Amino acid sequence: MFEPRIVGFLCNWCSYAGADKAARAYPPNVNVVRVMCSGRVDPQFILKAYKAGADGVLVLACHPGDCHYKEGNYKALARHRILLRVLAGHGIESARCRFDYVSASEGDRFIEIITEMTDTVRALGPYAGNTMGKRS
Amino acid sequence: MKIGVYFCNCGSNISGKVDSEQVRQALSLNDVEYFKTCELMCSDDGKSYLRDEIAAEKPDRIVIAACSPREHEKTFMRVLSGAGMNPYLMQMANIREQVAWVTSDVRQASLKAAALIKGAVKRVAFHKPLEMKSIEMSPDVMVIGAGPAGLKAALTIAQTGRKVTLVEKRAVIGGQPVLYEDVFPNLECAPCMLEPMLDEILHGEYAKNIEILTLSEVVELYGFYGNFIAKIKKSPRYADMNQCIGCGECIGVCPVDVKNEFNNGLDNRKAISLSFAGALPNVPFIDMAACLRARGGDCRLCDEACPLGEGIILYDDAEEMVERRMGAVIVAVGASLYDAGLIPKLGLGRLPDVYTSFEFERLLSSTGPTGGQLLTRSGRTPGSIAIIHCVGSLDANHKEYCSGICCQYAFKFNLMVGHKLPDTQIHHLHKELVYPGKEEYFLYKRAKENPNAVFTAYKDIDTLRITAAEDGIMIVNSSIKADMVVLCPAVVPSKDSGKLNETLGTTVDMFGFFEELHGRLDPVMAKVRGIYIAGACQSPMSIQQAMTQGMATAGYALSGIVGGKRLEIEPITASVDADRCSGCGVCALVCPYKAIGFDEQNRKSSVNEVLCEGCGSCVAACPAGAINGNHFTNDAILAEIEGVLSCLNQG
Repeated sequence: MFEPRIVGFLCNWCSYAGADKAARAYPPNVNVVRVMCSGRVDPQFILKAYKAGADGVLVLACHPGDCHYKEGNYKALARHRILLRVLAGHGIESARCRFDYVSASEGDRFIEIITEMTDTVRALGPYAGNTMGKRS
Repeated sequence: MKIGVYFCNCGSNISGKVDSEQVRQALSLNDVEYFKTCELMCSDDGKSYLRDEIAAEKPDRIVIAACSPREHEKTFMRVLSGAGMNPYLMQMANIREQVAWVTSDVRQASLKAAALIKGAVKRVAFHKPLEMKSIEMSPDVMVIGAGPAGLKAALTIAQTGRKVTLVEKRAVIGGQPVLYEDVFPNLECAPCMLEPMLDEILHGEYAKNIEILTLSEVVELYGFYGNFIAKIKKSPRYADMNQCIGCGECIGVCPVDVKNEFNNGLDNRKAISLSFAGALPNVPFIDMAACLRARGGDCRLCDEACPLGEGIILYDDAEEMVERRMGAVIVAVGASLYDAGLIPKLGLGRLPDVYTSFEFERLLSSTGPTGGQLLTRSGRTPGSIAIIHCVGSLDANHKEYCSGICCQYAFKFNLMVGHKLPDTQIHHLHKELVYPGKEEYFLYKRAKENPNAVFTAYKDIDTLRITAAEDGIMIVNSSIKADMVVLCPAVVPSKDSGKLNETLGTTVDMFGFFEELHGRLDPVMAKVRGIYIAGACQSPMSIQQAMTQGMATAGYALSGIVGGKRLEIEPITASVDADRCSGCGVCALVCPYKAIGFDEQNRKSSVNEVLCEGCGSCVAACPAGAINGNHFTNDAILAEIEGVLSCLNQG
């Protein structure tokens, strides 16, 4: 079975803490890169991930109104919407790039999102455009 | 570069799911100099092991693969510091919470752990040694607003020996409650309660630490947490604050009568006035707009009447601009009442005996326009008083919130009227009744037990209609007769709040109240570091809550800025590479902390490290890549992404 490689950018305060609270096994396909704020996620990080072999990218933020830095999550959302259009232009399906919210107490929600994302990307198959990742 | 990896077994928490041997094999020798396992890194033994290792191996960078950095990053950073290694030259890989505990298959867990560790190894190579910086700061504080919250804050801070500048726009201190006779919930005498505190502020042991600037307002604020500079406009009082003894001889001789704003215009005062009996500071002020001298006259009656002789009344006193330096600012400018005139059917301003609750407070007060006698405008004793709750509250057409204090003072009015006029009928017309708290219900109960009180619920303020009938009697909703109507309007921000907010660079919420950093965690911190908000300027509240918030702001000021200490600045901040900055200003727009300044002359942005919280929003937003996010640099994050994926590509 195809095992997708997914990079997850998680903000330190809500979603990373939520991921730490996940209390049961979930698919191991998402590899987390911790940033202080989802607003720090530069679109080039996401492009780099695809280029380096990722089949999907997740950006998880604090829920609206909960951002530790007040409004970084709104900026992340705005960037995500623009980036989806750029990705579409490069033939990258929007389902390969997901933006969502996980609070510091939502371990279960984190598991649900990881599981869904893994299933979605698995169904899409490998991202063919990456130039660095060779498949085993 | 010598990079070492320490793999913590965490008892069997990690080693039970992650095979350290498989991880070791996944990391090439090009990446790491050594890979060691240890039992429990966070235990005392583990920490001394790490300390000894750093001394023996002298690594340039280390990766600790263990629990979540949210658990022990700070612990291990302290170990590094203790071992003489810069604490930022370490990166943790979270292989417990995000791998061992949540992955069922050992092979998959080991592969994922190896990928995360590889990412950390690649990232840590880009870490730079960072140092805490520190700058000088002023331990002094400016408090704006001398009501309950501001006074409590000022006094508390002054008691620790700090200097406080207390800026009050009125001529008197004490805020709104000094104008009340009694306060809820226990009908305590307000002046008796407040005057000792006012006296402490004016003449007490710590009065020397408090500079009171009355008739003053802050017009500019520069700088940042620890080092603010305020420009304060001081309007002339025309009386010497230090020498005047407040005998009041000057007032009686003044020939000019003007409406007394302290009694809501219900009576007159002189052009030179003390506001109301018992007002503090006990020094009169001249309302120059009303004084004959402003209209070309040469009246000197007040000066001549002064028993201390010349030089106490100062006709040529002038507006002054003063500058003060402080480390923190406390905003406590209070609130005001919703304009009930916006609901015309209630008759405010049209029917003479419809009053706002502020006006009614003064009618009940022994220092008020009637000396505390309850009389209609035509001088009759009211046989029936209607108190209308929720005026403009809980209403999408007006203010949607509940102010929370109006029911309490309405019940207070009920009891105070009952004491003064035992035969007078009291009608409470309310949308809702609220009485939260450990004392508040008892006041409601007493009001309800008043045999002359009738409680009637109404649904919509717009269906209420107050009309004039014969002999000054009013009819409320075609059934209730009333000689006086008291409106209890929503509590709203004072009209100067907006201007002050702009001056301070703070923010206000959707209702115009000063906005807190976090509604639950930091309800008295403004969104600008070093500015705190207390009392009803933050939200409608009781005197008790305002006092508590005043204390809370004092706590922040006292713990945050300490005399003789320097302000420590966290190194995880952003910084601008001026050579690459094109001066577009996007960074300043996205910064939630107003930490980015713009040099108009050179057209370059710069980051104030004191205000920067290190979120990295500007780093991601800069189209020129000119902003560097310390410890979360693009190079480091990109290397981590590549490291993680290259490991998986091999797998």
